[in-house]
Amino acid sequence: MITSQIDRREALGGIAAIFGAALISPLRRAVAAGTDPGMGPQNDIFSDEQRTLLDALCERIIPTTDTPGARDAGVTSYIEMIFDEYYEPDAREGFLDDLQAIDEYSREQRQAPFVDLAPEQQDDIVSLAEQRQLDGADDDFFEAIKQLTVTGYYTSEIGMTVERVYLPTPGRYDGAYPYAEVGRLFTA
Amino acid sequence: MDRPPQSTEFDAIVIGSGATGGWAAKELCENGLKTLMLDRGGSVEHRRDYPTEGRGAHELPFRNRWPPGKQADYRLSPTARPENYPFYASDDEQPYVYDESKPFTWIRPGVVGGKSLVWGRQCYRWSRQDFESNRADGHGVDWPIRYDDLEPWYRHVEGIVGISGEALGLEELPDSDFQPPMPLNIVEQRFREVLARDFDDRTLTIGRVANLTLDMPEQGRVRCQFRNQCHRGCSYGAYFSTQAVTLPMARATGNLTLKSDSVVEALEYDAAQQRVTGVQVIDAHTGVRSVYRARVVFLCASCIASNQILLNSRSEAMPNGLGNTHDVLGRYIVDHVYGVRAFGTFRGQFEQFVEYGRRPNGFYIPRFRNLSDRESMQDFVRGYGYQGAARRLAPESGAGFGADLKQRLRVPGPWQIYMLGFGEVLPDPGNRVLLSETAVDRFGIPQVRFDVQWGQNEARMGADIARQSVAMLRAAGATEIVSEDVLGAPGRAIHEMGGACMGDDPAQSVVNRWNQLHVAPNVFVTDGAAMSSGSCVNPTLTLMAMTARAADHAVDLVSNDGV
Repeated sequence: MITSQIDRREALGGIAAIFGAALISPLRRAVAAGTDPGMGPQNDIFSDEQRTLLDALCERIIPTTDTPGARDAGVTSYIEMIFDEYYEPDAREGFLDDLQAIDEYSREQRQAPFVDLAPEQQDDIVSLAEQRQLDGADDDFFEAIKQLTVTGYYTSEIGMTVERVYLPTPGRYDGAYPYAEVGRLFTA
Repeated sequence: MDRPPQSTEFDAIVIGSGATGGWAAKELCENGLKTLMLDRGGSVEHRRDYPTEGRGAHELPFRNRWPPGKQADYRLSPTARPENYPFYASDDEQPYVYDESKPFTWIRPGVVGGKSLVWGRQCYRWSRQDFESNRADGHGVDWPIRYDDLEPWYRHVEGIVGISGEALGLEELPDSDFQPPMPLNIVEQRFREVLARDFDDRTLTIGRVANLTLDMPEQGRVRCQFRNQCHRGCSYGAYFSTQAVTLPMARATGNLTLKSDSVVEALEYDAAQQRVTGVQVIDAHTGVRSVYRARVVFLCASCIASNQILLNSRSEAMPNGLGNTHDVLGRYIVDHVYGVRAFGTFRGQFEQFVEYGRRPNGFYIPRFRNLSDRESMQDFVRGYGYQGAARRLAPESGAGFGADLKQRLRVPGPWQIYMLGFGEVLPDPGNRVLLSETAVDRFGIPQVRFDVQWGQNEARMGADIARQSVAMLRAAGATEIVSEDVLGAPGRAIHEMGGACMGDDPAQSVVNRWNQLHVAPNVFVTDGAAMSSGSCVNPTLTLMAMTARAADHAVDLVSNDGV
């Protein structure tokens, strides 16, 4: 049971490493375009530019490592659904203003849009936001985007089944299972 | 299949389809009685109507968050969750009233199967002492039955329910007929050893739970798969529910008619014959009223709902409700002392181990206070037990972002033991349910008004629950021990009992030793309402045993033309 799960995780992680986002992103868009309530945004809340920016930002919070990161997990689509379904327009506007501040800072200080920066340069800007030193962004912006990203990632298919070990039907219980055998978390 | 519902005449009517209603229907049908089972909730069919079963968050709407605005419809049901709220009655379907100073939490499912679909599944026999406490300390009505009266019926239901657990041979927690126990995890095993070493009056065992550890192919049930998603419904039938067990058995006889969406308003009483002659039903969708008739009626609507039906069954002979000839109906409401709990962390210990699988069960520490064979040194009477579990906490992610954060989120947090007391509440005639004189529900039925609050004995017991849990966690080497000793509102343990208490004296009780109304022997009240005291163990096993015993008696009476 556990072996096959790890095999699958490694297989998917490997595919992502080889083909990058190109393979998985169309799947993500297919999910996002779905009309079932709660399975994706029902309305366009973000522009394409904003989505691209969010993709890049969330990817720095949960990056691609030996497993896919936030971009491949469709975190932006998750955040769009949350803003569509749960947030008042005022809160959406505030969030989008903060997002805009990230990009403006990048253009002013780095002479390039955030999405075109190297990952290390992007991380410098995210760190500024974390330290609440990014002009024009709300003090809580980093914690908000981090929480949305973490939740969106670890409840996505990739987060649930590739990054974590998913046992839909464990079939048995072992209360002294060696952590070293799995090296990460079982999905709750 | 169910019989066509056009008939209104039956041998028996069972009101309610939870654990007790299911058992009543099964036993009556298997003994040849044409039985109508009524439930106010909507239909839920085994397997077909468990839509969230086996789905991860990524396969569920809103990643298994509450849909926008939906949680506000279920404020009265704090145990309802995004993945199973359709099993519960929404707030506007189950209004009730209480004084602000005396809150009560009435948690009520809204579908066929009742609480058996979503229950905690813990199954403990009562002890001999439990049936004798009312007489011993003078609180409540003396039980007219004792452990030996119920013992064969415990065995009868256990063989069908399927209970996994460990036999201990304790007088204070009699063993059931068990399937093999689920395992303790490594920290719970260590806790058990510490308690055995440091506390000569305390034992820790795995929870005794209505989850199978062996297949029961004769019932089409498969052993627990350790998903811990019981509350969504289980297609394996691994836990006991009406849908998985008693309903298919009742249907297999060809004697059952099940009518969902049927709200019982009142029972019709014939004073001359001293019997109930009809059950008044409102169609939940159309509002159309009709009357069903049978020789015997089983009232299994749940403790509070059965009290409501009896109180609302007002006649010229009994203007204050059926069976309320001596102002006893609705009194002696109990639940369990609940909410007092403690947590202890094991930082740096057992870190090489995690749990594989999700065990839908925890540990149990049986009652050790005020046992009849030991001297009592306490400032309260009766006792309590603990339920709890050891588990690893969520990762302690801390600050930051990026690959470091992702890596830290692969490391589980430390082990933590969580333990929660369940204590016996003293039966008190002042704790009662009544009918509101002004508020009605959407059918025009008077709402229940609660007048229930816990007293000094419960407060002192709660303080001891907290003290002893801290002492035990300390002995086990836990750190960061936190205890909460605020008692939850009555009803919050969802073990509400009483109101139509069992006793020999019609002036002091509502039902007799066979669960029959003193004033109408063709009515059997076999849910929590009939309980004259509450023990400190979970009640459902005892309610099922008592229902089977009462059904056997009812069949005898029907066969011998006694009703």
